[in-house]
Amino acid sequence: MEFLSLLDITFFLLAGLGALVGIIFGAIPGMTATMAVAVCLPLTYALGLHHGLALLLGLYVGGISGGMVPAVLLNIPGTPSSITTTFDGYPMAQKGEGEKALKICVIASVIGGLISAAILFLFAPLLADFSIKFSYVEKFLIILLALSVIASLSTSMLVGIFSGVIGIWLSLIGDYSISDGGNGKTRLMFDFMEPYLFEGFSLLPVLIGVFGISTILLEAEKGAKSGLVSERIKISKGGGFSLSVFKGRLTNLVRSSFIGTFVGMLPGVGGSAASVLAYTQEKNLTRDSSQMGKGAPQGLIASESANNALTGGALIPLLSLGIPGDSTTAVLIGAFTLQGIQVGPLFIPENPETWYVMMTALVFANIVMFFLMFYAIKYIAKVVMVPKHILFPIIVMMCVVGAYAINYGIMFDVWTLLIFGILGYLVQKIGLEVAPLIIGFILGGQAEVYFVKSLESFGTYSIFFTKSPIAMVLWGLIIASLMFAIVMGFNSRARQKMELTQVTGSTHTASGKGHDTN
Amino acid sequence: MESGLSSLLSVSIDFETSHLFFPRIIHWIMAGLFVLILMTKVAPFMAAVKRGERTLPIVGEARDNFRFFGTLVLIVAYFYFMAVVGDMFPYTGYGFLMVSMAFVLLMSLLYLHDWSKKALTIVVVNAIVAPSLAWFVLAKLFTITLP
Repeated sequence: MEFLSLLDITFFLLAGLGALVGIIFGAIPGMTATMAVAVCLPLTYALGLHHGLALLLGLYVGGISGGMVPAVLLNIPGTPSSITTTFDGYPMAQKGEGEKALKICVIASVIGGLISAAILFLFAPLLADFSIKFSYVEKFLIILLALSVIASLSTSMLVGIFSGVIGIWLSLIGDYSISDGGNGKTRLMFDFMEPYLFEGFSLLPVLIGVFGISTILLEAEKGAKSGLVSERIKISKGGGFSLSVFKGRLTNLVRSSFIGTFVGMLPGVGGSAASVLAYTQEKNLTRDSSQMGKGAPQGLIASESANNALTGGALIPLLSLGIPGDSTTAVLIGAFTLQGIQVGPLFIPENPETWYVMMTALVFANIVMFFLMFYAIKYIAKVVMVPKHILFPIIVMMCVVGAYAINYGIMFDVWTLLIFGILGYLVQKIGLEVAPLIIGFILGGQAEVYFVKSLESFGTYSIFFTKSPIAMVLWGLIIASLMFAIVMGFNSRARQKMELTQVTGSTHTASGKGHDTN
Repeated sequence: MESGLSSLLSVSIDFETSHLFFPRIIHWIMAGLFVLILMTKVAPFMAAVKRGERTLPIVGEARDNFRFFGTLVLIVAYFYFMAVVGDMFPYTGYGFLMVSMAFVLLMSLLYLHDWSKKALTIVVVNAIVAPSLAWFVLAKLFTITLP
């Protein structure tokens, strides 16, 4: 209990302030939790380790949670892990249930965050032991599973898979990094591109371009005729929210939180995979998945509980192996390095006070995030009342800041915004799927490393099937996920055909009767 | 038989060309999927276009060309001039501040459908205040690098 002496007023103030600033960063399109943590990193040196960690963990939790606001209100995921929140959040906002959608997200987020914190605290050593057993083969199969399940989210599975493969292809542009065990040579580009694309396209400008700039272009082609965004998205006045929304959805909430924590603890597999996996599982397991993607609360619960549960999960490989679970925890390594602390298997036994301080900050930040967002969401949601001609230039401006600042001032990252903004626009116009493309882009680089390293180590493709029982289970899940999507596709087509036949039949009958009367 | 299968599945990756190994596999998968999509999606779609039941995406659709291409031109000009002006005042963020003011003003005017005095005043005030606020908070308070 010696750690209690470290918990002073400043500690709690910093954790709360971190959560607040994080929410603001997350809520502004183009700015993310990673950026919030990166920006405030230098402050931790002046603050000291424990106060600094309080601030950074607050920023992390707030930043991930804040991503729900633009996801629901503007159809722009504030963080990569909010992609699936847009699927149901935005349709709800369009129906005038923006506030209800956000409150569902807030409750799902805090429960996801607290469950993951509990798992982190109780089972960290056990889970770390489990994830340490994952070789490159299992890591690759986990990515393959994440990519295959997103195909079931698509209108057409074939188009979804194709879009995902395009995303992987885009992620391969650049060098095969020596730090990943590659040979350092570049590919998929011409020589004159090397100064700009040696390390490939940066993730954040790509995300901001695809979700920010392309949205502006799609609105621009329509002429943005309605004067107010609020005409498009109505925020309910009476709230319209009741806890009964969660009735019968506790399984979804707990399952998604566990999925988020589990995916979070797998090194390198980030929040987008967690939320997509949780969303897909809910879609596959729920009795009525027909409303998912059209404004179903269970979609929001799955997405937000999973992405907030990621926070606790992602800290497991960081603290036990020294490997970041996602981009934000990668930045957190910088905070430890600044303080001269080595994260790895010996971190918890050697720094028990720091471990307890981190747990306290994580739980406190979640609670602060809940109160701030649940009670102030109406005011945060006011962003949608801003007229389009005011909002659009500001979104572009903030997108520029987000893209330019993430690598500390590279103008090419700003041009990446435009390239991927136009690409995102074209992709949507020709009927490809944006979400699988982006997930493919995020996971593509890691997929290559794990795939090639597996083959270099074992020299046979059969290793992906025979490596371990875990590999076989993962294949089972991949095949089950694809089969389920195919069956659901057939069912949906059959249902559509039946409805069409019924409509045509009744039209014929009606017209027949008409003739009789005449 | 078993050894035949295992030799079929065995693979050796040359380190010198290892950077092309995975991209090659992705190219083959892309090509295969593309052919499948051509046969199952594009061909029926083009037939529907010929019958006049569907329109070609982008080229066959109605679009507000003035605002669409105006937005593209403004964004390109914004990115270009931000770097140019930013180079004149290095490490100050003035490039971002000044060019953002012009960009916000012009883009707001592009989307402004009803040109009333009140609306114009709000647009002008926003074009000055929003970039200034963003510049102050980001460049000054958070010391974020801006062009």
